[in-house]
Amino acid sequence: MIKFKTGNLRVPQFQRPVYVVAAGTTDYRKRYPEYKLEELTMMAFKMLLEENDLKLDPMEVKGLINMACYGEFADHFQDQLLCEAKIHDYLGLEPLPNIGVKTGGATGGYTTLAGASMIASGYANCVLVMGWERMDEVDTRTGNFYISTAACKDFETRLSRMYAAYYAPMARRFSHIFKVKEEIRAAIAVKNRLYACSSPFAQNPGKHTVEEVLNGKMICDPLRVLECCVMSVGSACMLLCDEETAYKLSDTPMRLQIAGGTHTLRVADRRNMEVPLLPNEKPGQYDWMEKEYHEPYPGFQSFLASRFAAYMAYRMAGIYEPMEDLDLVELHDAFTISDLQTYGDIGLRPYGKEEDYITSGDAYFGGRCPSNLSGGLLGTMHAVGATGIFQGAECLWQLQNKYDKFHGEEKMWKRFGKEKPKDWKSLQIPKRRRALWISHAGVGSHVTCGILENPEEVKG
Amino acid sequence: MMKKKLAKRPVKKTVKARKPAPKKKPVARPKPARFKIAPKPGVVKFTGVPMRVEKTDPAMVIEWPRTIVHHHTYGLLSPFFEGLKQGVLRATRCSGKDCDQGFWLPPRADCPDCHERMKWVELKNPVIGEIFTFTHVEYPGHGIEISYPYYQIDVRIPGAATTMKGYLVRGEARIGMKVKAAFRTRGSSNTILDLYWEPAE
Repeated sequence: MIKFKTGNLRVPQFQRPVYVVAAGTTDYRKRYPEYKLEELTMMAFKMLLEENDLKLDPMEVKGLINMACYGEFADHFQDQLLCEAKIHDYLGLEPLPNIGVKTGGATGGYTTLAGASMIASGYANCVLVMGWERMDEVDTRTGNFYISTAACKDFETRLSRMYAAYYAPMARRFSHIFKVKEEIRAAIAVKNRLYACSSPFAQNPGKHTVEEVLNGKMICDPLRVLECCVMSVGSACMLLCDEETAYKLSDTPMRLQIAGGTHTLRVADRRNMEVPLLPNEKPGQYDWMEKEYHEPYPGFQSFLASRFAAYMAYRMAGIYEPMEDLDLVELHDAFTISDLQTYGDIGLRPYGKEEDYITSGDAYFGGRCPSNLSGGLLGTMHAVGATGIFQGAECLWQLQNKYDKFHGEEKMWKRFGKEKPKDWKSLQIPKRRRALWISHAGVGSHVTCGILENPEEVKG
Repeated sequence: MMKKKLAKRPVKKTVKARKPAPKKKPVARPKPARFKIAPKPGVVKFTGVPMRVEKTDPAMVIEWPRTIVHHHTYGLLSPFFEGLKQGVLRATRCSGKDCDQGFWLPPRADCPDCHERMKWVELKNPVIGEIFTFTHVEYPGHGIEISYPYYQIDVRIPGAATTMKGYLVRGEARIGMKVKAAFRTRGSSNTILDLYWEPAE
């Protein structure tokens, strides 16, 4: 049983507000031989400086940066130790300080958290937060083996050398306890891949059906091929500032709150505990889990790290009822099951009612709080170190009312050698108060919960 | 041969050329040696294997193969892996007075709660557990060392604080199924794959 002491549950407090003003990205591809990694990061950096309607010239903006935080999942993939230094030099940012962050699939989120801390503490006024991954130097099976070394090398990796095999048992247990049909997971794959059709950055857009997903090739039962993300190459970045710098650069900066959580790398080692309650939950609310299902929390069905991150981030941002207070969420759908599990962890629904978020229509564009309009990891990208930053970028552009600018202009599609679909549909959300993104590492070992607030709509 | 050639190198002349006598015409500067760092015949040669060019369009892509050996220690968990070879399952248990939550499998040397060194316990054969959840692995990653497809199972063992991941060597997995620990005592792999599970119903 994990027992918290008071210091463990202290809610993080930024010493001064942190803002995100601009973002940039490449498109994402399974293989990207056209460019070296540093050339791709320059592509994203230039988009950040030149295409975000900033009030200063790009080089003047660059002249404000005094810290960089870089996210990269695995040295295995880049085959380049100190890749951060190489990228930093290539962007022409030496001799400014930089740090590298590595927290698996949550690397992007934790890189953002590191950058935010730099601003909040006063160490920096303007921080470049950038992530990348180049997963195409090895074939897919070798890539899967590399990723599986992010499971315990002594007790887990050799058992499958495949990360889907660590999520699949969660999917089975989740369905067993909560009696969730496979169609729900399939609907998530269909939804996110469909939204990717509106994105020029997307790697795997597609108009699929639930039947197609369920009839797809089995990877690790019950997870089918369309329920799993794929190897990806690309880079994304955001620019974080203090309040004064933010308004010097932009009329629409978005305020950032972000918190993290963790859990054991081996799911095997997850011990029982009481559910840490979100602001809208009541003591005793989850007693039924133990009584009816003899299923203590968190078991294999819930991500304590996501719950812990949301527990903190909601209190930082003053969120009481997530479904009412949020207008968009971008979740970590590396697998359909990780998306589904997260609905309960972050309180979009109470634990045990996760599927209702999909069946009610709330999760769809036009619903109460849509999810993964970016196309998510299934449809758009999972160049791992970039992912938690790309999700933040999509949240930023949505709140800034710039979804169409970055996704709908012909030139953006042409830049990446694509044709804008004739039936392209805008996914710009109408209400633009708050957007949340979850950055999540293997089997929920590290998670961040980032929340962007529109200062015009939400008081600080 | 080598010494003769080295002796003929115009080192001294070069030095003289830098300090000419005041009334003499400067001596013509000799041509610089072609290899200043590596003296002849230490011409640096390429000793590797040429990288195969995989493609040139849209950019030059080479193949870069490699073979690497890591020297990995099992550290304080060595008794666990030694135990598998002997057909016994060893776990650790914390003897701290506030820490009795059962034994740890996978084992840990140090208790995460009170930081005391844990003690080894040997589970009595047959070790019977119950499948908590499972997957049928149809697409494993590169280098998989067991034939596939197969069932990867998570096993709950009575008295354990944790859940042990393993694989089923025969039969069809289902949640709640009783399974028995078995060991690769002959032809051991010296890895966790030396522990596997068999149906026990």
